[in-house]
Amino acid sequence: MRNEVVIDVKDLTIRFNLEKERVDNLKEYAIKFIKKELMFQEFLALKGISFKVRRGEAWGFIGPNGSGKSTLLKAISGILQPYVGSVSVHGRTAPLIELGAGFDKDLTARENIYLNGLVLGYSREFIQEHFDEIVEFANIGNFLDSPVKNFSSGMKARLGFSIATVTNPDILIVDEVLEVGDLRFRSKCNARMKKMLTDGTTLLYVSHNAESVKRMCDHAIWLDHGEIVKIGDADTVCDAYVARQEELIMIRQEAARRRKKKKAKNKKYDYLIVGAGLYGAVFARIMRRAGKRCLVIDRRDHIGGNIYSEDVDGIQVHKYGAHIFHTNNEKVWKFVNRQVPFLPFVNSPVAVYKDEMYNLPFNMNTFSKMWGLKDPNEVKKKIEEQIAQLGITEPANLEEQALSLVGPDVYEKLVKGYTEKQWGRDCKDLPAFIIKRLPLRFTYDNNYFNDRYQGIPEGGYTALIERLLRNVDVKLETDYRDYIKENPDMFKRVVYTGMIDEYFDYRFGHLEYRSLRFETERIETENYQGNAVVNYTEREIPYTRIIEHKHFEPENVRKNPLPFTIISREYPAAWEPGMEPYYPVNDEKNNALYEKYRELADQEEGVIFGGRLGAYKYYDMDKVIAAAIEAAEEELDRKE
Amino acid sequence: MSLFKYRIRTLIKYRSLIWELVRRDLKLKYRRSFFGYAWSVLNPLLIMIVLTTVFSMMFKKQIENYPVYLLTGRMLHEFLKNSTTSGMKSIPKNSSLLKKVYIPKYIFTLSQITSCMVDFVLSLGALFIVMIATRAPFPPTMLLMPVVIIQIYIFCCGLGFLLAQLCVFFRDIQYIYQAVMTALFYLTPIVYPLSRLKKQKELVFFIKHLNPLYYYVVQFRAIVYQGKLPSMYYFVGGWLIAFAMLVIGVYFFQKYKDKFILYI
Repeated sequence: MRNEVVIDVKDLTIRFNLEKERVDNLKEYAIKFIKKELMFQEFLALKGISFKVRRGEAWGFIGPNGSGKSTLLKAISGILQPYVGSVSVHGRTAPLIELGAGFDKDLTARENIYLNGLVLGYSREFIQEHFDEIVEFANIGNFLDSPVKNFSSGMKARLGFSIATVTNPDILIVDEVLEVGDLRFRSKCNARMKKMLTDGTTLLYVSHNAESVKRMCDHAIWLDHGEIVKIGDADTVCDAYVARQEELIMIRQEAARRRKKKKAKNKKYDYLIVGAGLYGAVFARIMRRAGKRCLVIDRRDHIGGNIYSEDVDGIQVHKYGAHIFHTNNEKVWKFVNRQVPFLPFVNSPVAVYKDEMYNLPFNMNTFSKMWGLKDPNEVKKKIEEQIAQLGITEPANLEEQALSLVGPDVYEKLVKGYTEKQWGRDCKDLPAFIIKRLPLRFTYDNNYFNDRYQGIPEGGYTALIERLLRNVDVKLETDYRDYIKENPDMFKRVVYTGMIDEYFDYRFGHLEYRSLRFETERIETENYQGNAVVNYTEREIPYTRIIEHKHFEPENVRKNPLPFTIISREYPAAWEPGMEPYYPVNDEKNNALYEKYRELADQEEGVIFGGRLGAYKYYDMDKVIAAAIEAAEEELDRKE
Repeated sequence: MSLFKYRIRTLIKYRSLIWELVRRDLKLKYRRSFFGYAWSVLNPLLIMIVLTTVFSMMFKKQIENYPVYLLTGRMLHEFLKNSTTSGMKSIPKNSSLLKKVYIPKYIFTLSQITSCMVDFVLSLGALFIVMIATRAPFPPTMLLMPVVIIQIYIFCCGLGFLLAQLCVFFRDIQYIYQAVMTALFYLTPIVYPLSRLKKQKELVFFIKHLNPLYYYVVQFRAIVYQGKLPSMYYFVGGWLIAFAMLVIGVYFFQKYKDKFILYI
């Protein structure tokens, strides 16, 4: 009877107690019983499933993992009892048992054939009769008397399939077992199942591969979360299922994309630091340690601002002029030494005037060379006499000012030409206030600085900046204006170390700077001038000084002598807007202009101005660091 | 009644499977051991020798042919212990199969107990060897041995079902049961004669009437050791206890069997 209903599932509901709180020991049971907590969290694996299967039909069950496919088949095989509803099955069901589950691993294949056959409900005689057939189809040949534990999963699957299908069961249940095994065997299995179908066997086939369901089945049920989503013709159901899966994948991808985008959007910085110079780097370092997120941008293609040093064949070249770190500030010295080690260096420049060489700063070495005097008291007297002879009481210009401080000899040879070159004007035309004092030392001490600590960072200033900016995001060749236009929401506050007048679009006019120009040259000699800095004080020589970079690291020169050297001639340059600004010109006019900008800056919400250009101030490096530390600490104390 | 008929029919239908499972258990028990089945005999013999060496000094005066006395008691206890313990574990042990194929679950419990019974019958060889060695007579009452064995087998089936059912829900039972079996060993006159306990009246009463194992040991010793028919009290009592246990065991097993699948 082809139309006979062989499986009738009515309103089937299967309930599980969730494994989460499985009580399987007495102690727990007793405790829970006493506490009256013996309530199981229930979980409905199937919810009100109904369908009818007629003889000879092939039904496929598809759905994602945990949708209830296997549970449904277990209910049909009688392994699970309905919680609600009923399952009636007419005929003998043969389940294709999952890999090796029906086998005793210690028994041989021969013994397992009997055991498994009996489990499936065959009689002993029947198995004996079909024994050869089973072995042949399973194709296990020589392994018939080996324990099944030595079998590969493919062999076990073959044997299992072979035993289950040796007779035509009324209902064959296949639960994703054929996914293993090689292609040849799979096609063999499919052929046998097709044959069984034509012979009138009813097939129940579980898979999440919609294609194989379409191939094997004429009807299909799509299950999800224990409910039937779609039931009917295999092609229709499978196509709908596949479409839905694809849709789900799309949705998931879309969601992932959106999450990613959102995440990127949320990646805000606490501080946008404009300028990767010393001020910005120190500020970033402190904020980073305090757990703030900083982004440092710089217009240049390198970090470090004007203290940037470049390694040229083992020599650290100070690209923007000589930088010698010196400080009296214990805190700052400790701070920089925590970042990188410092090599010892004492700045003792030399001045060249015509054919004469003098030590700087003006000290007993200078004076004894100039006048042949040895006694400091005599030198002091001589200078005082020279100054007194001039009789200047109210210096009208720089020349008179300098003369009244050092006397004509020192002035002529060491001050005049140099100062005129620097300012590009005659000393008589320069205001007196530029030089407030010219210190004179009556000791034989050539150390230019009076500070307690002095040195050059090992590996150059770039190494120091790199270290400060470790784990901080840096974007180079990025202009502040362009950046905020494109990313207006990426940061909360700004630290601006660029030119303050530029920030305000030169609203009140340009602040003025002094600029410098360098001519750097490689010379194939081991030692060019014997000192890091040599000043040229004659007006006729166009450069103010020559820097020989290797002498900033005397230790390296000793340890690793190089056959060449790199020198930079430093030329003063008149600054015009657009040029690299070096020194702020802190005269009355410019200071007044700066004050106007500063007032604007004070009103600017969320922007901190700092550094040489941001504060329009001639800063030594240690002062810059101290200022940055102070600003950062103030910022951290600020209540949001 | 039709339910009962249906049960019997399935039992008949699966009898080959039960037999195959019994064969599997026996095969695998001694597979790869040198003496194979001989261990069923050798094992009780060796234990008997140990126990005899230890206890015979104590009880020599009260008991003649101590080895046979000891063996008749100990073998029954051993069978009870082994069969019920393996019956108890039968459901979790076969969980992978039970989850995949519909087979009446009791098949596994029953086959475990049955294979222990077969093992027990095989090990009776040890008893015969000892009887020959000690020149003990072979009384004709020995022909009644199967009657006693069937009684204790039924009892073990009942107890096994009860334990198997409990074990699914509470795995702890396994450990408790070990201790219970050891207690039973000493609460049954196996190594000692009951006469030694004359002064402890309550204990003697307990052993004589409430210890189920004693019912079978008494019968077994009567037909093998003493060569007389068992007393009517213990014969009838033995059957009653066996069937009562079977009814209790089957009742609980059937009541909860559909829930097993959720716990294994």
